[in-house]
Amino acid sequence: MSSTGRGDDRLATLSLMASAIAGRTMDVAAAAGDRSWCDGSTIFLELGMGPVDQIQALAVQASLAACGSLEPNLLSQLVHRPTLTRRYLALEGHRALSANERVLPPVVRPLIDRPLSVVAATPQATIERARSRQSVPDPPRVFGSIEPRRALRSIEHAGPSPLQRSKGVAVDTPSGATAELDDLEDDARYVGDLLSSPVGGGGVVGRWLAKMLRPTRRRGGGGPPGADAPTRLASARSDASSAAQAYSGAAADLGAELHTIESDGMKYPEWDVAGGRYRPDWCTVVETEVETSGSTTIALSMGLREALRRSLSRLGMGLTPCRRQAQGDDIDIDAAIEMYLETMAGAPNGGDVYFENRRRRRDLGVLVLLDVSGSAGEPGFAGRSVHEHQRLVAAALTGALHDLGDRVGLYAFNSRGRKQVQYLRVMGFNEHFDGQAINRLTALRPNAYTRMGAAIRHATTVLDQRSGTPRRLLVVLSDGFAYDHGYEGRYGEADARRALSKARRRGVGCVCLSVGASTGPEALRRVFGSAAHATVPRADDLPSLIAPLFRTAIRSAEGQHRAFQRKERSREHHQMEKGRP
Amino acid sequence: MKARKRPYYLPVGDEDQVFKAAYRQGLAVVLKGPTGCGKTRFVEAMAHDLDRPLITVSCHDDLTTADLVGRFLLEGGETHWVDGPLTRAVRDGAICYLDEVVEARQDTTVVLHPLADHRRQLSIDRLGLVVDAPPEFSLVVSYNPGYQSVLKDLKDSTRQRMVAIEFDFPPVSVEEEIVVHEADVDPGTASQLVRLAQAIRRLETAGLREVASTRVLIAAARLYVDGVPMPAAARAAIAGPLTDDPVVGAGLVQMISTYLGPSD
Repeated sequence: MSSTGRGDDRLATLSLMASAIAGRTMDVAAAAGDRSWCDGSTIFLELGMGPVDQIQALAVQASLAACGSLEPNLLSQLVHRPTLTRRYLALEGHRALSANERVLPPVVRPLIDRPLSVVAATPQATIERARSRQSVPDPPRVFGSIEPRRALRSIEHAGPSPLQRSKGVAVDTPSGATAELDDLEDDARYVGDLLSSPVGGGGVVGRWLAKMLRPTRRRGGGGPPGADAPTRLASARSDASSAAQAYSGAAADLGAELHTIESDGMKYPEWDVAGGRYRPDWCTVVETEVETSGSTTIALSMGLREALRRSLSRLGMGLTPCRRQAQGDDIDIDAAIEMYLETMAGAPNGGDVYFENRRRRRDLGVLVLLDVSGSAGEPGFAGRSVHEHQRLVAAALTGALHDLGDRVGLYAFNSRGRKQVQYLRVMGFNEHFDGQAINRLTALRPNAYTRMGAAIRHATTVLDQRSGTPRRLLVVLSDGFAYDHGYEGRYGEADARRALSKARRRGVGCVCLSVGASTGPEALRRVFGSAAHATVPRADDLPSLIAPLFRTAIRSAEGQHRAFQRKERSREHHQMEKGRP
Repeated sequence: MKARKRPYYLPVGDEDQVFKAAYRQGLAVVLKGPTGCGKTRFVEAMAHDLDRPLITVSCHDDLTTADLVGRFLLEGGETHWVDGPLTRAVRDGAICYLDEVVEARQDTTVVLHPLADHRRQLSIDRLGLVVDAPPEFSLVVSYNPGYQSVLKDLKDSTRQRMVAIEFDFPPVSVEEEIVVHEADVDPGTASQLVRLAQAIRRLETAGLREVASTRVLIAAARLYVDGVPMPAAARAAIAGPLTDDPVVGAGLVQMISTYLGPSD
């Protein structure tokens, strides 16, 4: 798209107003054609207008969405009927604006034609009116247009979840067609449309194309990793040039993601299960920041976030009795007697003689580690990819913990061989879970492989160094496939297990969650070992499980840490005894 | 006592009548509603109408029973008892208003039980006393079912002892009148502000902590009356308090400049 970053920013700021007027979450994107239109969840705004016209166009489309004027049953009556569509828009636009008037900005209200706004009471009645022979003036230019076929297709492709509407979908395809040409061009454009939205998981062919072009490990597929992994689009040009453009856009995104902050990276050992020993400095973890190109965000499930928050709020919040306080519920008799004696002895020593029950601080630091390897792009439960399920949970969990005041960081990982384990920062421990963090989360695309052990080791180090809390918890969101070059089957699984158990010895609790993936419990046990883990088909099943999982993980880590320290102490003691002459 | 002017409160429905009937019948009252919609002002107006002193306690996380009922203090070698606000209200026959009661710990709210039901008694364990509440005493609590119930809710045993009055933001015309009265602003400006608030209240965005309340509208109008240009006043009083998120903040500023005239 030729629009500058500044233009994108402006559209992003308009989306809040669009959502307010529409009464539901609404994205704003640039229309490639010459008219503004709306597909029910995104308003495509004509760019060439002045700011006032733009607000008016936005308000018209948002009001149409708010008043149910763009429902599929209505749109289907308008397909292939350009004149009817125009007449419908001319009448329905006024009706919707008038019905929505109490929330419209002042500059929009003069648009309303009162007599036209009352000719019908419902959208269906407006269609009937538009079908009649009554003369209807052409809609003003700022009314934009209604695009029944494209809107219907978009609704169909968007499916039940707003989450699926990620960045790629919100790119309008060039139409350039006037209303009269609409029907002629429609079929030709349909092909283009199918291909134009692979990035967001929209079109069928596009999705297939994207899959073919993506380096990923297919379950059960043979061949060495990397063999089926062209990272650049070479010759997919066809008539469907829009598909090629859309995909190369995604490739550019990936390139941006891999921008390195620390070029040399951190080295970690890896467990060689066959040899029963570590391979020192075997893997290199490179920490990078996810870069975002636009500011489109996914709609996040606030319901899930609240449910998780409710569940987690009860975690480790006991009352601790505190003696010798400056104020409190009761008098601390021992302190009072002491003070009395000291006063009698002529050396009064303060008045801290109260007893108080204080709420113990949670002191919990959590690192959420998201697996963004190619296997997460596989389709999962309910038509969403595993990555989409995991991303939803990552956002809700991070948000919930952030709301509760815990220290929380959100990172993602994938790998291309042992020298290139990518560790992507979505949100650091000192950052807020705000729009920018959500943008970075949205920009993640499943890609490459899963060297889980190195990622877990690095995450444990990060938790130790940056969380600054005595209790630490690592939450791994993964489909449970440990796989990379030289990291297959038993070897990879053993290394991941080893890394998790080492983390627990260092006092870091580990929770492994698999959401929406088809991995069986046996396979998960092989990778996650005795770490607390669970597999759920849907994110909504998580709130009831999460608190017991967290509790178990924290308790087990504290137990193992203590046992480990005891063992270490006795070993040292033993060595000292031995060393003595 | 009634010399003071009545706090300004514009009734929306029958809340006035229900409250006074509950008072006469010795029933405790719970006011439910979002932040800044007028719950506290309503209680002040009722206390004025009923000619009773009002004792307000803002509840918080660490509010203990002792904070409400009272505690022993040490002075020299002696202990002496100091009444808490609740005990004082019971002894004086005042209206005790516990603002945002769910913020208080649940073990604290249990002390309200015998006061809120037919017994109308306050037991003070530390003194071994049970104080009977006089007929003039009334217990009023408020809470915001919106954001607070996420973490904690009012215990069922507590809520069942109360008569509930629900509050919401007033209808457009009433809210305009309130803004005009409270900020002494012209009706046109008040109407613009209310329209903006109506739009913001339709948002379900992650970054918004709360929706625009009547209180923030009044604050914006008062800044405006004092000479701050409107978009700047609204940015300071509405956008700032509602969000810390830069993305949502930019969206709100855009809405403010669209609804309230050009940005300065």
